[in-house]
Amino acid sequence: MNSTTTTPVVSVTEVTKCFGSVRALHDVSMTVNSGEVVVLLGLSGSGKSTLLRHLNGLERPTCGAVDVLGQTVPKLRPTALRALRCRVAMIFQQFELVPSLTVLENVLTGALGRLRGPRLGLWAYPKALRVDALRRLERVGLLDKAYQRADELSGGQQQRVAIARALMQNPQVLLADEPVASLDPESATQVMDLVREIAAADGLTVVCSLHQVDIALGWADRIVGLRRGEVVMDTKAANLDKAQVMQVYRDLAPGPDVDLDAELVSAGLVSAGYSVSGPA
Amino acid sequence: MTTHTDTSAAAPGEVDVVTRAPRRRVAVDKIAGLGLIVAMLAFSVHALSRLDFSWSSMRSSMDTAVTTFSRMDPISLPPAGDLVYLIGLTVGIVVLGTAMAAVISVPVAWICAANTSPSPWLRWVGRAIGVITRAVPDVVLAMAFAMAFVLGSALPGIFALGIHSIGMISKLFADAIEQSDDGPRQAVRAAGGSRAQEFWAATFPQVLPSWIATVLHRFDINLRGSAILGYAGVGGLGYAMRVAFQQFPEGYGRGLGIAIVIFVLCVVLEIVSSTIRRHLLGTDPAGRGLGGRIVRVATGDRPARPAGGRLTAFVQRLGRRPSSADGPVGTNRTAPGFVRRLLPRHRDAEVSVEAMLHRPWTGSRVRNLVWVWTAVALVVASFWWADVNASQITWDYVLPTVQSFWPPSYGSHSFGEFAQAMLITVEVAFAAAGLSLVFSVVFGALAARNVAPTPGVRQFFRVVLVVFRGVPELVLAIFLIMITGLGNQAGVIALAFGGVGLLGKLVADSFEEVPRGLERAVTATGATRTQRFFSSTWPVGFPALVSNSLYLVDTNIRAATILGIVGGGGVGFYITQASTVMSLHGQVTTLVIMIFVTVLLVEAISTWLRRVFR
Repeated sequence: MNSTTTTPVVSVTEVTKCFGSVRALHDVSMTVNSGEVVVLLGLSGSGKSTLLRHLNGLERPTCGAVDVLGQTVPKLRPTALRALRCRVAMIFQQFELVPSLTVLENVLTGALGRLRGPRLGLWAYPKALRVDALRRLERVGLLDKAYQRADELSGGQQQRVAIARALMQNPQVLLADEPVASLDPESATQVMDLVREIAAADGLTVVCSLHQVDIALGWADRIVGLRRGEVVMDTKAANLDKAQVMQVYRDLAPGPDVDLDAELVSAGLVSAGYSVSGPA
Repeated sequence: MTTHTDTSAAAPGEVDVVTRAPRRRVAVDKIAGLGLIVAMLAFSVHALSRLDFSWSSMRSSMDTAVTTFSRMDPISLPPAGDLVYLIGLTVGIVVLGTAMAAVISVPVAWICAANTSPSPWLRWVGRAIGVITRAVPDVVLAMAFAMAFVLGSALPGIFALGIHSIGMISKLFADAIEQSDDGPRQAVRAAGGSRAQEFWAATFPQVLPSWIATVLHRFDINLRGSAILGYAGVGGLGYAMRVAFQQFPEGYGRGLGIAIVIFVLCVVLEIVSSTIRRHLLGTDPAGRGLGGRIVRVATGDRPARPAGGRLTAFVQRLGRRPSSADGPVGTNRTAPGFVRRLLPRHRDAEVSVEAMLHRPWTGSRVRNLVWVWTAVALVVASFWWADVNASQITWDYVLPTVQSFWPPSYGSHSFGEFAQAMLITVEVAFAAAGLSLVFSVVFGALAARNVAPTPGVRQFFRVVLVVFRGVPELVLAIFLIMITGLGNQAGVIALAFGGVGLLGKLVADSFEEVPRGLERAVTATGATRTQRFFSSTWPVGFPALVSNSLYLVDTNIRAATILGIVGGGGVGFYITQASTVMSLHGQVTTLVIMIFVTVLLVEAISTWLRRVFR
């Protein structure tokens, strides 16, 4: 750990997000320091993806503040937002490659933020960028697949292409939204190892949503647990074991006879004095 | 818990379960929907009966036909050189018109599609453009534009097709965008891409195959409709046919000859384009049809290979031979230079960034390149053949022509007269659609893979439908009107004929789209073929059948309008009268608004019914 670990790269302050009458996030606060690898854990619908999507401005909070790399994301004008997105790469559960394009062209789309105007076809990208893209592909071990169609690749390979596309942005922050949820265990391990390796080599800050506790425990520096849009756990991964983390998945119904805070404290998930419903 | 095997408790359980079960709710909207469908069917029967298909009128028209045939010259063709020129001119005008519409449709579709549109009000603008351009028949546009161009120029025809086709093309383009996966767009957005970059990098590659299919489809429609442009003075086969038919009886032989040429041209190009479309969309993996064979002969492709054609196989074979030898260095040495350039390096040890800088010439790349350049060559050739240039525009008349359409007026006619004409047109449309529906359900079902008793039957009815679809219904209408001396009756028969081709195909496709698993589940319960059809295929396919039938009514209304131009009645008659004289253009606007409202009504009914029978 070096001195940069104390600089907050991401800071989310009391963010609430409502989709119509549905409250996806409720009063969420969280910070991520430079070079840190953080996993967001929680059930489907707990708000992990929504929180991630706030970090690059794909969603705007109903109230609260989101600061990434020193910029207040919800307040950015389109051009500035795009400039920020260039530095914050994202990979997705469904990879989100264009199936009919070649692998290389998919990787090149990662450079669009730096380029002006629309691009279609390999020839539309400068040669230097094409070389760059091939280097990224080499890094994820798929150089030989450069000219195959994206949909001819296996799921694990497609996610590696998506990582190469993310690397094309030369990002400082990498957001990963359930990157291995659609993969078999072996490909999942490969992809997670690759992300960790690249994060270490490039000093990337990583925020990754997952729901596999086993993968998260051995992989993350820190684990943030979400339940029903609220942060219910925020602990260094080294201090946790599986039984403790599983508490995040217990769908406790906060009723008049259940003292949620006390239960969480007794389960060792949060420190004493923590309040789920926030201060006041 | 009571189960069926538990006989002692079954009887009281049954009573119990009936009382406990929720009451079946009467779905008012479904009953209303069924009522509406029955009413529309009744209207089309009524319309058919009003059109006088009695024996006596049939007999007298047969007599007219016999007389005509006996008095006309033998069927003949123009000299070969003229014929080639006319075919080239017609195809060229259609290519340019369709291409123009396709280009304009891209931004229109982009603002129309819910998932790419920048703002809701732009969506409405886009939709308005689509509906308005579709409501004005191309031939009316061509007549109205005639003043703004030099006499004999192909431009009025090109512009007419180019503007009229925007409606359908942009609608189908927008549908394709809405069906495309949103994920890649999001990925580009997350990488800092702009809206334009999102579109070209993520949306366009996804929708391209479907867009090409749409354009080809529209090309067929335009080609079939192009003959009618001759009645607006646009050169080509249609004009030549019209001139021939004006000389009774001696020109009829020549006219019929040209009509036959148009028929053959349409059927052939329909087969070619439907085959290309099928290849693009991959809906017919077998590709054993007649058209499939023709295109395979032309492209040297084989159906069994999924990716790439012979060349891929060739390159792969070359690739395998040297790599069977040991050592990566040896591999490159043994392969000749051009092969080394052709080969994608498959083994990690050989792969380097420098080597991968050049995209290998795989079969699919070669084929794509050939297709692209063929398309470009076709457009360039069309420009040259149709002899199009900007000096043919008489700029002085452009603005007055546009202005002459406003305000709408009734001229010397009244609203009642126009409404009466509109009713006749709607009757013709419904009568034809009703006839088409009966035949389409039978033909379409037999052409569906999952309904047809044998693959042979399916193949036979597919070919029948292609031939029906390829027949230009308006040329058929002209032909029948000329021969039988009848007006709208002949038109109904012609429209019904073309309708079977279109609706039958749509019915077949919608049946084939019924999920296989569903039918298998029904089969697994021990159901017969017929049971399977009525309990899984029909209920799933029914909503599509309803909306496709109404789509046919919609296209028929437009086609029935045009019938007035070639000798039928209805609004087309009044439009033809008014569109050739600039001072009467206000009436054209009035009539177009009436068509527009009618078509919107049909579309609203269709949307509602689709929602009810979802």
